[in-house]
Amino acid sequence: MDQQMISGFAPAPVAARMENHGPSMLKVAMQSGQDLFARTGSMVAYEGFVQYEPNPPAVRQMASQWLTGEGAPLMRCSGDGLLYLADYGANVVCINLNGDALSVNGTNLLAFDAHLQWGVERVKGIAKFAGQGLFNVSVSGTGWVALTSRGTPIVVDCGRGEDETYVDPDALVAWSSGLKVKGKRSFKASSLIGRGSGEAYQLGFSGQGFVVVQPSEDSTDRLRARG
Amino acid sequence: MAREFQRGHKARISDLTAGRDLYVGVQIAGPGLTFDISCFGLDANERLSDDRYFIFFNQPKSPEEAIQQLGPQAGDTDSFRVTLDSMPPAIQKLSFTATIDGAGQMSQVGPGYLRIVAGGEEVARYSFTGSEFSTERAVMLGDFYLKDVWRFAAVGQGFDGGLDALLKNFGGEVAEEEPAPAPAQGATPGFAPPGQAAPAPGFAPPAGAPAPSAPPAPAPPAPQPAPAFGAPQGTPPQGTPPQGTPPQGTPPQGVQPPAPGTPQMHGAPTIAAPIAPPGQVPPPGQVPPPGQVPPPPPPGQYPGQPPFGQQPGQAPPAPAPYGQPPAQPYPGQPGQPAPYGQPQPTGGVPQGGGAPGLQAALSKYREAPTGQRWTPQNPRLMRVDLGVGGQPVLARQGTMVLYQGKVDFSYKGAGFRGRIVGNATGQEMQLMRCTGQGQVFLAENAAELHPIELQGDAICVSAENVLAFDESLHHEVRRIEGHGIPGGALFTMQFQGTGTVVVKTEGTPVVLPVTPTTFADSNAIVAWSAGAQVIISSQVRLRRSAYPGHSGETVNLQFRGAPGNFIVVQPYEV
Repeated sequence: MDQQMISGFAPAPVAARMENHGPSMLKVAMQSGQDLFARTGSMVAYEGFVQYEPNPPAVRQMASQWLTGEGAPLMRCSGDGLLYLADYGANVVCINLNGDALSVNGTNLLAFDAHLQWGVERVKGIAKFAGQGLFNVSVSGTGWVALTSRGTPIVVDCGRGEDETYVDPDALVAWSSGLKVKGKRSFKASSLIGRGSGEAYQLGFSGQGFVVVQPSEDSTDRLRARG
Repeated sequence: MAREFQRGHKARISDLTAGRDLYVGVQIAGPGLTFDISCFGLDANERLSDDRYFIFFNQPKSPEEAIQQLGPQAGDTDSFRVTLDSMPPAIQKLSFTATIDGAGQMSQVGPGYLRIVAGGEEVARYSFTGSEFSTERAVMLGDFYLKDVWRFAAVGQGFDGGLDALLKNFGGEVAEEEPAPAPAQGATPGFAPPGQAAPAPGFAPPAGAPAPSAPPAPAPPAPQPAPAFGAPQGTPPQGTPPQGTPPQGTPPQGVQPPAPGTPQMHGAPTIAAPIAPPGQVPPPGQVPPPGQVPPPPPPGQYPGQPPFGQQPGQAPPAPAPYGQPPAQPYPGQPGQPAPYGQPQPTGGVPQGGGAPGLQAALSKYREAPTGQRWTPQNPRLMRVDLGVGGQPVLARQGTMVLYQGKVDFSYKGAGFRGRIVGNATGQEMQLMRCTGQGQVFLAENAAELHPIELQGDAICVSAENVLAFDESLHHEVRRIEGHGIPGGALFTMQFQGTGTVVVKTEGTPVVLPVTPTTFADSNAIVAWSAGAQVIISSQVRLRRSAYPGHSGETVNLQFRGAPGNFIVVQPYEV
């Protein structure tokens, strides 16, 4: 077989714990002792000896409110080898946290180091009509986090003026933890008679920090929807 | 975040960046192809009146060093440093070109780009692929030109001849002139040492083997653009066979074809040509015996992938970045997939790689304010600054992903007439009006967005593909009826006036000129120039009714129009 056409897709040598292979695949160098939490069902390939523990107790305690009866959305991966993760072709962004803190929308989290501090919190003041509300995972410490984004994301600074930054909750990927969040309903009398602008509610961010937004309002959790 | 340029786009450089010391990187690659990337410094008549301003691999800088060629680095096939402030007044235009060295044509080129980097940040990028070209052997990628101020234009125009024809086109002379600048320009010492020229002639005839010609094109990444100058030039430029390097400082000989990179040189019937195309030269000292399977290109040289996570100027990660071959290629087997286990370090998983920290990881996705009204932040996200121009924007409902400032979103009806048209089939265009002061970011379903600036002309866009437009544009909904169109009719919006329409497409669209035989699927059509006339054409064949199964393409739109009209089709049938 002429492998010339596909030989360019071979993995590059490992240079970091987490790396992109192409825009939408994540390559994690696994080593025993350095476990990883990844979205259940996100594994597309692995080399070496990697074991998966679905429904780990740590996640069950931490994310009890995240569970909806079908098991935890995270699995613990351990072992030695190379692990490849993807989420239905969404762009992957690897972040090497260096003592920073980040809040990530639950559906946009792909994987993170197990030794990071993390917790599940519910964003107050906003309840999505469809679905069970907006959950987000706050991650902090020193280690690697991988996010997914449908399309190339954009990072916007908040706090440039006194105005808040308003984000469509469906397009929100992550934000820096220092920001204040509040829901905003742009509800007018005219929206009651079927004349809404299509933008019924937004999340308002204020303070110093940044917001990561994806160019898509498709916030369905494909890894879970597959079920 | 770099501003994306399409072919034909122009911008003032001062709008892109405040910097005047620019790094221009060109990435172009194709299977088996090597490229000479050059910069022509032209005068006001677009002539190469001073051949010291033809910057190419044999002349890597202009006399006052306003233009310097830096060689391959940071994922770019070649790169230049342009210092606008020290540009002599006679030079009014810089044209960056890529020519194929050897056999081949531009249609074989994979995705590439020309980018401008200032202050370590990429500020502009013009991407192209080989599908935009055909049999050309050279392409003019982009121009810097002085019209009151320095501006940049993404040209992307193919050129039939090679480097010599291009040189002639710009008024240079090839045969005798080309070696001549060498003596005239004694200012580049150390370049092309005599030892290099000397062995070349003796070496060339028997060789036929590509071995000694050049190291593999991607050199190990040089971290900083500026100081690396000159260093890569010490080695012969990639792909140029030894017999092609014109002997610097020796008078031109009639026997020796002086033009480097002329097609004849590479097209010469060397035995090695089919074995190892000039682009992929095995590591020096490794001559593949004839008949051996061609070595696949080194892992990272495949052109489909832009170097990911890499910004020039910003120190790239010390280990080989993605999209570049490993720093030390495995000798003899350049194309073999990096085996798992070998890179696996014994001492533990590397935790490094890239500057740590949140800001470093996200810096390449940062918002890029340009002060213009419509700014594509990336191919799928558009930023509108409502403060510029001061007029409202009409956008499809629900496409706002983020806004800053005081922006009000309100319902925009289609108007009385529009509602009649819309309600008749239930396909009303749902719009919202964005007013106020601030910035609105628009996107929908990660579809590609294309701003189209209308200057008094008109365009028809399929209603589903309209994302947003300036309210100053006159727009009306039209329907095209025909049997077989899903929903009974195709809704289009005709825009006219001065302003911008943002069109969204699923995938990269194709723009076709309207000829007497131009057909498009009514589901895939995105837009067409208003001068083109649409006709429904149905393919009716007796066979179709006689046998089950048909092509599935029964109803098409045919376009008629004067030359100059075009249609836009997306690779997605809604």
